[in-house]
Amino acid sequence: MTRLSPFSVRGRRALMVMRDEREISIVRRQLNRLGMTIAEHDPAEVPPPDEAVDVVVVDADAIPIKSDLATVWKVGAPIIALIGTETPSRLKWLLDLQPASFLIKPLRSAGLYTALVVAFDSAQRRIDEAAYIERLEDRIRSRRVVLAAVLQIMRGHDLSEADAYTLIRQTAMRHRTTIEQLSAEIIAVGGMPNRTTRTA
Amino acid sequence: MMASEMRKSALMAIDEINRSDDFDFAFAAHLRDPGGVVAAYHTACADLIREEHVDHIVGCYTSASRKQVIPIVERTERLLWHPARYEGFESSDNVIYVGAAPNQHVVPLVRHMLDHISGEVFCIGSNYVWTWETNRVVREIVTSAGGRILAERLLELGETAVDHIVREIIDRKPPVVFNTLVGESSYSFMRALHAAATHAGLSIPMLSCSLCEPELKLIGSAASVGCITSSAYFESIEGPENRAFVARWKARHGADSNPSVDGQSTYVCVMLLARAIRRAGSADVAAVRRAAANHRYDSPQGPIWVDPDNNHCFLTPRLARSVPGCQFKIFWEADAPERPDPYLSNLDLTAIGTGTEKSNDAMTKRSNHLRVVK
Repeated sequence: MTRLSPFSVRGRRALMVMRDEREISIVRRQLNRLGMTIAEHDPAEVPPPDEAVDVVVVDADAIPIKSDLATVWKVGAPIIALIGTETPSRLKWLLDLQPASFLIKPLRSAGLYTALVVAFDSAQRRIDEAAYIERLEDRIRSRRVVLAAVLQIMRGHDLSEADAYTLIRQTAMRHRTTIEQLSAEIIAVGGMPNRTTRTA
Repeated sequence: MMASEMRKSALMAIDEINRSDDFDFAFAAHLRDPGGVVAAYHTACADLIREEHVDHIVGCYTSASRKQVIPIVERTERLLWHPARYEGFESSDNVIYVGAAPNQHVVPLVRHMLDHISGEVFCIGSNYVWTWETNRVVREIVTSAGGRILAERLLELGETAVDHIVREIIDRKPPVVFNTLVGESSYSFMRALHAAATHAGLSIPMLSCSLCEPELKLIGSAASVGCITSSAYFESIEGPENRAFVARWKARHGADSNPSVDGQSTYVCVMLLARAIRRAGSADVAAVRRAAANHRYDSPQGPIWVDPDNNHCFLTPRLARSVPGCQFKIFWEADAPERPDPYLSNLDLTAIGTGTEKSNDAMTKRSNHLRVVK
């Protein structure tokens, strides 16, 4: 996966979900200046299913709070919320949308670039954090397997728990695999697998 | 110094317009001098609009002062005509940016450095937004081309104690120094480095994108020589418009006085404004903004016009070397006015630099729009 700098915005695709013509023209103009491509969508309509966009600019005031449309915008792309009304009811709705950044109306040319950079950066951080959490969860799931493998080696080689774990760790390193992967193999073959070739 | 250069140039342009038969109106100048005190720009600008009812304001040299003025001109729908080059990343509908955008000043200079001097650069600058952003651009282009920033040294604005940095440069002998110091800091640094390098028998190329002729005089004839400078204007530009401008300048301000890039740009601001008013038939801000768009003016620095996409100007980037006599000798200029790109969104890093991985195609393509000025 190529990792784009949050500062490089040219060529990225923005979806504008806005109603006010003056504000649309300000955002459109600024996005054009930045070399981004633009799609527009009526806030009153159901979002298109597979819109491949990099960022969604949503006018928060254009979508009724108690509508079916309120949460369907919670898609993969980061959301920049345009905020006019600062009532807690609107802000609560906004929090559910998890905006990556926001702009206060009335809009001016300054600010959108910052909102985009912050949105792209926080979207990337969310992806990174989700991947990290998934790795951690994998490791938690494998703990039972590792524990079983340690017990197996302790019994088979008459080792202490610490020594058995060290043996598994060193063997895993030598075989260039993970402790979790090697542990699964130990359980499968009923002891330390006798590898003559390195596996990737 | 810049404030007086800019005021002199604006008043010169206003006098020329008021005397000219080409314009059926006259400008009345209302002068305010916030004296570089950032907070005073807001007050001065508000006063001009509320008390004097001006529609158009020419001025602001630093970005800090411009940022004070922008909220007022946006709220009251006035136009600020901004003469100075700046670091970019702004595009207000109520500002006409007549100075160079970063693609028109920093980028050509870094490209020249990579192609002809070195990719290993020592950066020194004043500790504020101009240096921070310029250094970021330098770093991005240089590292993308496989070069590196050897050091980045910052001095507070106005600081003239430069000896420790000069010593470091003499010790480390970098292939090139990129100087974004401003005012007295820059003059002190250039004098001290020149003295130390001469004593050590070294010759270290220096780059700047803000040096101008009146500053060369302040630095002194010996220390000011040899600095490679990027600018849209030099006094030495050939061409009838500039020769006539320089002659009028000297007739008005004295034979030993020199125009500067920021002075000339202020003159261009007033001229662009007058021509847009003439074209619009009114001084109304919206009408003037529309009339200024794409309206070419053959200025001292060559053809210039406002790009309505971002309110910055098409203008011609140039590179020159400072020579004895406090002048610049131009050795490169773009062969046509370059489109302003204030957000550097069209900066193509793969097409710049000397890295071995860069394709020959990119090099050939680039040289097509470059022209060597003899």
